[in-house]
Amino acid sequence: MTTHSPSSGPTPGASDSGTGGISSKGLSAGSIGLLGATVIGISCIAPAYTLTASLGPTVAAVGTQMPGIFLVGFIPMLLVALGYRELNNAMPDAGTSFTWATRAFGPWLGWMGGWGLIVATVVVLSNLAGVAVDFFYLMLAQLFGNPDLADLTGNVLINVLTCLVFMVAACYISYRGMETTKAVQYVLVAFQLIVLVWFSVAALVQVAEGSAFDALAFSADWFNPFLAPSFTAFAAGVSLSIFIFWGWDVTLTMNEETRNPKTTPGRAATLTVGIIFALYILIAVATLMFSGVGTGALGLGNEEIQGNVFAALAGPVMGPFAILMSLAVLSSSAASLQSTFVGPARTMLSMGHYQAFPKRFASISPRYKSPGFATLMAGIVAWGFYAVMRVLSTDVLTDTILTLGMMICFYYGVTAFACVWYFRSEALGTIRAFLLKFLAPLLGGVILLVIFATTLYDSMNPEYGSGSNIGGVGLVFILAMVLFIGGIVLMLIQRSVNPAFFQGKTLTQGSSKEHLHMQ
Amino acid sequence: MTRVANYVVAYEATERGNDTVELGVALARLTRSELRLCLVLPHHASTVPARVGAASSPDYQALLEEQALEWLEQGRARVPADVVATTHLLYADSTTEGLLQAAATFDSDRIVVGASRRGLMNRFTIGSVANALLHSSSVPVALAPRGYTAPEQLTRITCAIGTRPGWTPLLDSLLAFSEGLTVDLRFVTLVEVDAGRGHPVDHAGSQAHLASVLEYFSTRSRAHGEITTEVASGHSVEAAIEALDWQKTEIAFVGSSRLAQPTTIFLGITAHRMLHALPVPLIVVPTGTDARKPH
Repeated sequence: MTTHSPSSGPTPGASDSGTGGISSKGLSAGSIGLLGATVIGISCIAPAYTLTASLGPTVAAVGTQMPGIFLVGFIPMLLVALGYRELNNAMPDAGTSFTWATRAFGPWLGWMGGWGLIVATVVVLSNLAGVAVDFFYLMLAQLFGNPDLADLTGNVLINVLTCLVFMVAACYISYRGMETTKAVQYVLVAFQLIVLVWFSVAALVQVAEGSAFDALAFSADWFNPFLAPSFTAFAAGVSLSIFIFWGWDVTLTMNEETRNPKTTPGRAATLTVGIIFALYILIAVATLMFSGVGTGALGLGNEEIQGNVFAALAGPVMGPFAILMSLAVLSSSAASLQSTFVGPARTMLSMGHYQAFPKRFASISPRYKSPGFATLMAGIVAWGFYAVMRVLSTDVLTDTILTLGMMICFYYGVTAFACVWYFRSEALGTIRAFLLKFLAPLLGGVILLVIFATTLYDSMNPEYGSGSNIGGVGLVFILAMVLFIGGIVLMLIQRSVNPAFFQGKTLTQGSSKEHLHMQ
Repeated sequence: MTRVANYVVAYEATERGNDTVELGVALARLTRSELRLCLVLPHHASTVPARVGAASSPDYQALLEEQALEWLEQGRARVPADVVATTHLLYADSTTEGLLQAAATFDSDRIVVGASRRGLMNRFTIGSVANALLHSSSVPVALAPRGYTAPEQLTRITCAIGTRPGWTPLLDSLLAFSEGLTVDLRFVTLVEVDAGRGHPVDHAGSQAHLASVLEYFSTRSRAHGEITTEVASGHSVEAAIEALDWQKTEIAFVGSSRLAQPTTIFLGITAHRMLHALPVPLIVVPTGTDARKPH
């Protein structure tokens, strides 16, 4: 006699809705309204962190076309997310890129899809921590009025060790399964938005007063992405734009948690993207008008500041209130560090469970009910990656963001094609199915594939990204290759140690129709 | 539908969780109750979803659930055949909240939790879940010491009692608990002897108090067993506890009210010290609780 749900019986004491109740499923059913869902979406995107990390590299790629690129960059994200949602509805219990890709394409591509996701999130973890370290010392400098403190971040040893401390803290919080409460999340998101708008307005005011660093007159052409200097630049820009919207798709896939599953996710996704669009365009235009795209001290073309633009601009733009920007980016990075840790840890756990990774990765802490070993490994690898990068490249942040864009393109692309292939037998059934299960993911996948191939090819150029190179080959390309080949090697090792997964014994390949018959 | 006497057992697949099951079994045997083995999982993190898409959550949730059910089976396997136990997988924002709601849902008599694993020897230190329960539970909370194993039968209940008003709820709870049971009862008062100041110890007062306690209890008690009283003294709370003899087949009762006088003890700071020294399971009865009316 086993009951899993005491609340299903006639029990007046227990409520089955609201965050406080015990529910039979893990989801707090019906607890999130439109505002809540929107806040979650914005929180996942972490605009303050995302912008400081991506404004520089985007300007480096497409110059003044940045606002336009931000707009088109959303299109492949949207197309893939529509496919994501269909997969999520069809296989609600199997929801990682890894499991979907394995079901659609079999173990080999499935494994690489999972690997792509893990690598992308591990890379973003290291970048997040890097941005947090910069802002941490900047904030100390602002707090004590001592600019020397901000320079500490330039000391490789101090930087890497501080990053270790942040990583250990994030890892521990993840392991303990601690969560930010709703109230804290609302405050953090509101704070981020206010500070970012403040920054933009302050920058525009300075432009109007003629005190801007390198005032650039506004031009409507900025919104035309096709004026990008070359297809290379366009592809790099789109790849970065995918990074800046990363996390948005969360709102689309929230179903049972929302009060009205039919309308809330769609509306929240629209509202989120509306707010994010407005914010990104405002910031992009304001920074362009204030700083210009030159390579001067505060110019967006300056490689020194590209990896972390707000760190350099907040002071000149916001004056004594610059510390608010530090707080906004720090809190946004911290929240993002936490929500990002969940991704690789759970995917590794899932891969461990299906024996695609060593069994240890599947272990769940009986005390904290979190993927203990996988979380630890994600932390160690992310920190190790950051430490190596910091030593190798002076502009570590820029290069990691470019590598990251590529990795996101890869695993999103694999997932998009997985959707197309998995639903192949029902694609022509209805117009809706054709659009959402076939056309949208196919288009999204193709766009991502093109962007991925282009950026991979272009990144061989030693001038690509920060200009760091090894033996005349761009560092970004080498990074991507190391990560992919490393994945293939690990896959082959796992294949020889434990072939069960690769023989299709743990997860079966098939299409939506076949899986339907099996049930 | 008649109410089945039952205990919520806070299970987790750790040593501490096993201790909890053992204590649950011991209490269930004594009072012929059923066990509700509860494993509390955190709510799907809707406030902090994975950035890589909520996509990665359902899969994880399914695996977590699978693992949790497996854990619950392991827990149930530890319950001997003579005790009825059901397993329940619960989701709540916190373990404490889940257990409280389970106790309300099942109309449980007690919640059984493990003491923290950090305790030395077989002694108590209160873990965060137990601590939170002690502050919020309206039903008594039973604390299992580390490494506890259930005896065939519990033979004695020791009730530690203070002298301030407020001991009647504790006695009422004990009366309800021991009704119809064949078990010895021992009432003790702990006296801390302050060697430095050399206060005269009011043994006589303690004895008199115990006598009134005894009278209140024995006129109402329907337990079958010997009732004794004892005054324990020592330089510290721990020493006073250790001055008493403790049997392996014993459990202790204490009220959670602040009954402390300068030289006599109860909860608050001294309670924690007392717990450090206690080698047997402890049931903490909240003040102001109506003693659970049996059936």
